[in-house]
Amino acid sequence: MNDYLIVASAIFCIGALGVLTRKNLIIIFMSLELMFNAANLGFVAVSDYLHLINGDIFVIFVMVVAAAEAAVALGIAIAFFREKGTIDIDKANELKY
Amino acid sequence: MYNLSSMYSMGLLEKGILSIIPEIVIVIFAFIVLFLTFFEKLSKSKNPYYLSIIGIGFSIVYVLMLSGRTISGFYGEIGFNRFDVFFFIVILLSGLFTVLMSKDVMENFEMPLPEYYSLILFGILAMMILIASNSLIMVFLSIEFLSITAYILTGYLKGNRRSTEAALKYFVLGSFASAFLVFGAVFIYAATGHLNLYNIHHFLSLISHGDMIRYGGIKTYLAIGLILFLVGLAFKMSLFPFHAWTPDAYEGASTPITSFMATGVKVAAFAIFLRVYFLIYSSNIMNFNDILWIIAILSMTFGNIAALLSPNIKRLMAYSSIAQAGYILIGIIGGGYYGYSGTLFYLLAYIFMTAGAFAIVIIFENLDLISLDIKRYSGIGYKYPFVAASMSIFLLSLAGIPMTSGFMGKFYVLSSAVKSGYNFLVVIALLNSAFAAFYYIRIISNMYMPSKKSADIELSNKNGSFGIIGGKVSGELMFTVIVCLIFTILMGVYPQVFINFANNSVNSLWRI
Repeated sequence: MNDYLIVASAIFCIGALGVLTRKNLIIIFMSLELMFNAANLGFVAVSDYLHLINGDIFVIFVMVVAAAEAAVALGIAIAFFREKGTIDIDKANELKY
Repeated sequence: MYNLSSMYSMGLLEKGILSIIPEIVIVIFAFIVLFLTFFEKLSKSKNPYYLSIIGIGFSIVYVLMLSGRTISGFYGEIGFNRFDVFFFIVILLSGLFTVLMSKDVMENFEMPLPEYYSLILFGILAMMILIASNSLIMVFLSIEFLSITAYILTGYLKGNRRSTEAALKYFVLGSFASAFLVFGAVFIYAATGHLNLYNIHHFLSLISHGDMIRYGGIKTYLAIGLILFLVGLAFKMSLFPFHAWTPDAYEGASTPITSFMATGVKVAAFAIFLRVYFLIYSSNIMNFNDILWIIAILSMTFGNIAALLSPNIKRLMAYSSIAQAGYILIGIIGGGYYGYSGTLFYLLAYIFMTAGAFAIVIIFENLDLISLDIKRYSGIGYKYPFVAASMSIFLLSLAGIPMTSGFMGKFYVLSSAVKSGYNFLVVIALLNSAFAAFYYIRIISNMYMPSKKSADIELSNKNGSFGIIGGKVSGELMFTVIVCLIFTILMGVYPQVFINFANNSVNSLWRI
């Protein structure tokens, strides 16, 4: 179980780094999905190790939520693209102190 | 645990449905409002608005009808007890205020209305499920449900660049935090093998009495999991290191939605944090108070300093809500019976002051010439005496001046912290609240004592840039303001009824 959790943590960190450093909106969304899927990997590993089923149930819910979130994300991205003509997040600079 | 015979017995299913009747009412009305979109004649008029008010009213009635009971439904995933009743009422009130405020603003923007109101109802539903949830699965699902509705509502003003940008920032940071939340749940699951909060609580209390050596690995997993989970929840509560979305989202969203996020979403996040803290974080294995202690101090200090520097009233309210979250957190740190009931009281007081203040911001937006810039508020104390006077009372209440609900809230919260021996924290909080009074009172003095220079600004800015210009104050907004005003003063001079209500709700936390 330890090894699986280490791998999951590594994937999670890669995703987090991607969100923090990338400029392209779509790549940021991909990195967010990576973070959710790292959690899925962890859940499957743990529930297999403990011979329980509720971790697997959680995984299904996480996947559903990730899909719903992707739909909203792409909607926001399109709205952003219509207004700015780009999906570079550095252009999201109107609201600041 | 998953016994088939009990699964199919009618009794259990009925019990489950009974435990979510207030939520079912909201779902039904949300769908009715949503289906109004198909009928052009119906959706144009005020039907969606009235239907959502009726839905919220019915839901409040059902909550009050069920209020004495303790029901656990859906195999312990959803619970219903007095603790939930308190927060259901707070959430439904905040939703009601949001709907009342929305009428004018949305008609001015000429946006499709049924979707808007049904999204608000779905947001209320998500918060209610979040409060009632008893397992990590339900916590994650309902937080995501709530967040997704909040993202859409933030970006609802189509064609408004600020609104879209706010939604974008809120979305990226929000999902980032949700990922931390679910990853934290992995480690909590790995440590304990349970997803139900009460099962985790029993497991931890068994371990803390037994020998710790056998469970050496568990402690590491649990620490990682709880910290990651705390990050996810602290984001929703907009505490200091995870606050970055708050000012942007509050400023970009339309003002009723800002009020919705500041009251409803924050209260729901605090409700679930209170439950999770009580069941898991306060176990004897680890001491989380040291971390929360620092977060509370940083939130208060940062929020107040940033609010002092901000020229825009909505941004100022956002920073002040970060500071208020710090004060509320003190009640949870103080802990025990008094701390929790003080926290509940503060949250109830907080929604009335904040909703009232935002209603007045909308009134100012609707009136000619006045926008969100604080400097342009100069002199309106004489033009609109009642509105300016109520704004002063809400701001004084946020600052914590005696005779208002904010003072009593701070009093209960800080006295519980003193009882638990956090003297240094209380000193910092008091200094902060004195500091905060400065910028609240600056707005009031700006309204009543216009300087000559700011009068010139008022004249030169006749074309209000961002606000909408309607020129009239509607009955709904005045109703919201008056209700908030009555409760703000009532909770300040006669808090006993409300603190008893909070005490009763907190009692049920101990009756597991």
